[in-house]
This record gives sequence, C-alpha cells and structure tokens, in this order.
Amino acid sequence: MSQSDKDLRDEVRAWLADNWSPGYRGRAAAGAPVGATKAWLAKVVEGRWAVPRWPREWFGRELDDAQARIIEREFAAAGAPGAGQDRANLWANTALAYATPGFKAKIVPALLKGEVGMCLLYSEPGAGSDLAGVRTRAERGGDHFVVNGQKVWTSMAAEADYGMLIARTDWDVPKHKGLSFFFLPMKQPGVDVRPLRQITDEAHFNEVFLTDAIAPAENLLGPLGGGWGVLLTALAYERSVMGEAARGPRSGKPGPSGETNLIELAREAGRLDDPALRQDIARVTAYKMLNRLNNARAKADVAQGASSPIMSLGKLAMSRILHEEARVRTAILGAESLLEGPDHPRAEDANFLTLNAYFNSIGGGTDQIQRNIIGERVLGLPKEPEVDRDAPFRQVRGS
Amino acid sequence: MATFTHEDRTALTDGLRRLLGDIGTEADVRRTMETPEGYDPALWRKLAEMGIVGLMVDEEFGGGGGGPVELERVMEETGAALLCGPLLSSGVLAASLLQALDDEAAKARLLPPIAGGGRIATAALTGDAGGWTPETVSVDAIGRAEGWTLSGVASFVTHGAVADTVLVAARSGDAIALFEVDAGAAGMAVTALPAFDHTLRLSRITFSQTPARSLADGRPAWDAIERALELVRVGLAGEQAGAARRVLEMTVDYAKARVQFGRPIGGFQAIKHMAADLLLESESATSAARYAAQALADGAPDADAAISLAAFACADAFVTVAATSVQMHGGIAFTWAHPAHLYLRRARADAQLFGTPAYYRERYLRQLGA
Repeated sequence: MSQSDKDLRDEVRAWLADNWSPGYRGRAAAGAPVGATKAWLAKVVEGRWAVPRWPREWFGRELDDAQARIIEREFAAAGAPGAGQDRANLWANTALAYATPGFKAKIVPALLKGEVGMCLLYSEPGAGSDLAGVRTRAERGGDHFVVNGQKVWTSMAAEADYGMLIARTDWDVPKHKGLSFFFLPMKQPGVDVRPLRQITDEAHFNEVFLTDAIAPAENLLGPLGGGWGVLLTALAYERSVMGEAARGPRSGKPGPSGETNLIELAREAGRLDDPALRQDIARVTAYKMLNRLNNARAKADVAQGASSPIMSLGKLAMSRILHEEARVRTAILGAESLLEGPDHPRAEDANFLTLNAYFNSIGGGTDQIQRNIIGERVLGLPKEPEVDRDAPFRQVRGS
Repeated sequence: MATFTHEDRTALTDGLRRLLGDIGTEADVRRTMETPEGYDPALWRKLAEMGIVGLMVDEEFGGGGGGPVELERVMEETGAALLCGPLLSSGVLAASLLQALDDEAAKARLLPPIAGGGRIATAALTGDAGGWTPETVSVDAIGRAEGWTLSGVASFVTHGAVADTVLVAARSGDAIALFEVDAGAAGMAVTALPAFDHTLRLSRITFSQTPARSLADGRPAWDAIERALELVRVGLAGEQAGAARRVLEMTVDYAKARVQFGRPIGGFQAIKHMAADLLLESESATSAARYAAQALADGAPDADAAISLAAFACADAFVTVAATSVQMHGGIAFTWAHPAHLYLRRARADAQLFGTPAYYRERYLRQLGA
C-alpha cells in the first residue's frame, strides 16, 4: 500500500471514528442504500465518501477504483452503509450521466442522501424480454410530456417519488430509435399503482397504470429518442449491483440458504440414508459450491484487470441451483409436500422455493435471454436476426 | 516442494503448449494411438527434458519439486491436446506413491530415473471389479524367508504394458501393502485390455508366485495410496477442465463457420443455448480443478471435500461437453476423421479411472458430515 493510500485509509478511519454510530442505522427512501438513515447518508455525501470516483463538483474526489475500494472496505469494516454509491447507486449514476443540468442539481444530491424513493417503469404486458417493444407513449405538450400506458413488475411503486420510465416518443422510426427516458413523478393523479398477486401468493410487485401522467420536460434523460442508450447504461448498473448482492430468493420467509440445509432436512426427515437422494443432495450442494468458486475466480480475474466470462454465468447457474434445490427438497419430503401453511413449514419452504425459483429464472431477463447474451457477447456467436429491427415501429406493432 | 512463481508456471505451461502444438497435434495423437505402446518416445523425451515428466518428483531426486497447483495447470494443457502416454501413470501416480511411502532406498533407486523419463512406472491398485478401493484389491502377498511373492489379478493398470516397474497393491494379512515388481518377472503375465479410449493403454496383470520387493517393509500402505490418488484426482481434474475448454472452443468455432439455412448455425438459439450451458460446465470444471489444487497445496481443512468435488464435477462436465459437442457439430462429428469422438472417448475413460463420479459424490457428502 502506497503512502497516499495509507493516508486515505487513515483519513476514512478517523472520520468514521468521529462520525459513525449504530444509531444511524435505519431506513431512507425506497431504492437508497439499505440500512442507513437520511441523516447518515447526508453526512457521508458531505464528507465526500459516497461517490469518491465522481468529479469534485459532484461530491466526489476523482479517485481511481483501487483507492475508492479502500474507502468501501473501511466503511464495510465499520459496518457503516452509504459508501460505494458511484458503483452501486443505479439511480444516481444514471442521473449524473444523463439528466439535464437543472434537474441534475436537484435530483443527484437527493438520490445520494436517500431523500427520494425510486422505482423502475420498464416492462409492459406486451414488452418483457423484448423491452424495446414498449408501447407506453410520451407526447410533448409545452414544457412537459403527457404519458399514457401500462407498466408491470414494478417493486416499491407505492413508496417511490420517481420512476425511471422508458416510453415511446416517436412511432415512425425503428423500435430502438423512438424511445425516450424520463424520471416520472409518481405522486400525481395520473399514476395508479395496483399490487400484483404472484404465484407465491405474495405481492412484491405492482402494475402501474399511467393515464395522462405528467413528466416535466427537464425530467427527460439523454436526448429525445435516445432512451435506449440511457436504458442500457441503467441496466448495466443494475446488473452489476445484482451480481454483487446475494442472489437467493428475495423473500421475507426463511429461505433455503446455507450449505448443509439439504443434508439437515434429509436427516430430519429420516431420508439421509437413501442412496439416490444422497446423490441428488451431493449434486445440488456441489452446484452451490461451484457457483461460489466461479464467482471468486471471476473477482480475482477482474482484480487483475482481466475481463471474465464467468460474470455473466452466475445468474444462469443460480437458476439451476434454485430449481434443483426445490426439486430435491420436494423429493426428500415426499407426501409432506402436498401440504402448506404454518403447521407445515418444511413443505411450505419446499413449495415456496419451487415457485419462487422462477423469480430468478424469469426476472431480470429470462434464462433464455441470458443464454443469448452469453452466446453472443461472451462466445461471439452471431445474433438471431430481428425481423422488426429496422422497420418503423408503427408498421410493426401499430398503435 | 520447490517454490513456483506465477511466472514460472506460465513459462512451464507456455513451453508445454508450444511443444504440444508442434509435435503433439491431432495428427500426432492419431498416429500414436495406433501404436502398441501408446506413446511417442520422441515426445516423451522432450517432456522429460522440459521437466514435465519429473514435475512431481522432489528436487532431491532429480525432479521439479512441483505441487498440486503446477500439476493441475500442466494437465489442463495435456488434456486439451489429448496427450497420449504414461505421464499420469508414471510421473504422477507412481512417483507420488513412492514419495508418500516411508522407504528412502526405494525413492533413491526409482525416483531419479522416473523423473528423467528413462524408467516408466505405474501402479496396479485394483482388481477386475475396478473401484480403486481396498476391498477391490485381489492380489495376495506371501512373505517367506527367501522373500515375497505375489499371486492374483490386477486390472485396469494404466500403461502397464510399457512399464519397467509396477507398484502393486496386495493383501498382506489384514492390510494392503505395496510391492515393487519388475517388468518380465517370473509368473507375471501382462495382457493388453482393449480400451474404448484409444489414446489410453490398459492392462490386466496376473501374478503367480511372482517375486516382488516389499516397499516400506511391507507395512500397511493404503494411506499412502490415498495420498497419491489425491494428486491423481487433481491432475485428472485439470485434464478434464482443459479438455472441456478446448472442446467448447472447437465447437463454438464450428458453429460460427458452419452455414445452414443461409446462416451460421451458431446464430440459432437451439445451438447458441447449448453453447452457453457448456460454458457454465467448462468454467465450473476449471474453477473446481484449480480450487482443489490450491486447497491441497495449502493443506486447507476442506481439501478432501474440494478434491472429491473436483473429481465428480470435472468428470461430469467433460463428459457433458464432449457428448453435447458431437450433437452440436452434427454429421461431421459422427465421422472417425473428426476429433470430437476422441475427446468423448477420453471423457468417458477419465470418468471411470480411479473411481466413478457417483463414488465421489457419496464421498463428498460424507466429507461434509452427512
């Protein structure tokens, strides 16, 4: 570690010693760094620790990645949230890169300090894997845009102050070229949020109906018709955050995690001596271990400055882990898996996992889309032809 | 053990890759696999000069003093090239077995020529049942005043026909001990087995009151055999990972070049999705093999489990990649002239030698406490 790195480390440590206390643990707005109150995030931003890779005029220090990681490590060691937002805060990064000057000055600090809640308005009933096929329309009306359409799979929609919205502003150009990207204010009469009941009988997501909703013109990110490029940037930030987070099922229920859970379950159920089940348990346990080993190897490659093909494999690997784990849990339980409810927690777990495994294999891009991405971007195989790629959208889908 | 830097390892594997690219090509493999010996003496000499044959032999006995990490990397290269020959039998299994034994005289006598490549050794550890466990040993040792003799059958002996020395596991009382038998010893008959993997040589050896030299005074040796097999498993895992990566590379290249319906077949999702799944297989195999090697080198507490994991994960991955590759290629890979079947044969052999994937899954679970 160089002297300047040591100085930086000592500076962070001293600042954390003077400022951090567990009393700052709490909740800020939806989508903000978890585990931090607004008051704490404000201190981190003012101390220039939130986004050290960013320019000085935007609360940054213009540090390189290695130095910024020193800050993140010290925050992590102290158990203090709020650092590393220049990597992990998808909203703030997208706004910094694309927002108009006036809006940027308002929204960027508010996002870093967790003062405004956020949600995503991307998918539609008619545009899932093919996101560029969205039909929500945004039409210019003076100093604002009028938005009409329907979005789906939006988590935190009821709590959010803004939604990052992809909408069609031009129907006479090919589908990728007629899209624009907005920060749509959510708390207005034209925005109707309705919880969506999932196959697990939970409701983590919402449908969002937009009827003459208003987006001020200054809330347009990037050029009019340049929304696809903004979206790709935002998706890249989202994936990098997902890649670092635990990839298990997002659920408040006690989910299957840890290495020995299948073994413990089989032992409890008196099935641990079944040789066929033992083979299955070993297989699934191995899948989990292999995924950890792959991720560790990918991180080591990236740390040495090499790109790693393995990064893109994690989501696919996790789908296999979750579906196979659900299958083997069910096999261990046998007839017990016919039941549900609080009196049958083991069956509840196995059945929940069976259904919730699709959260990973469909959400955030289906396994099939992920295989296209791996095939095309990692292995360099040719793209599947898209018949509607170059035709004006109006001709392809009508309005 | 010698200390290898990252640069040392890179130099070693780069040199090996160049050598194999030069005289270990597919054409060379095909020529060699048709010979009775199953190895190319000229390539063997080069491998010895380069320090590959003696890599795992301690420096004091004229070897390279390599450890599991170096072995794994080297075998990724030899696996990718489908190297034919007794590298694993002599340089890894026999050499490691001798080094795991408490028998200084045998080490001093046998290890230097093994490291130099002038003497080829192998080990006979299992009977007709296969399995490579103590229960499957079906040779008995009898000690008399005039010395030891062996009687019984050892099978699936890798490169037994070209071995100058065979290290034989034999039942002595309640335990398994190790014995050294010279090629051509009295009462010893070596029969070549027809191996499905033509790049491999297997023998069945019968012993009938065959004179043998006891190793480590005939003391129980199964622990030493296990320690040697750990290295063999790490080496094989490297071979499987390296070969799986090469097969995938070859298959993806073909999918980019082969045109049907006016498009390269790799543009069809039916093929593209298979390729993506195989990338997960081959990268997982690489991670498992390298992790096992590092864990064994570090003496990590989870080294046993890591080796078992690598043993079945890499075996299954290589079989899956090689088998799927044939399907993805289509008709061309159904021909003898195409290399896909050579890899599939090797994959199937590697998945049976020294214990099956099912055996290692069971062993893995036990090592995790179940």
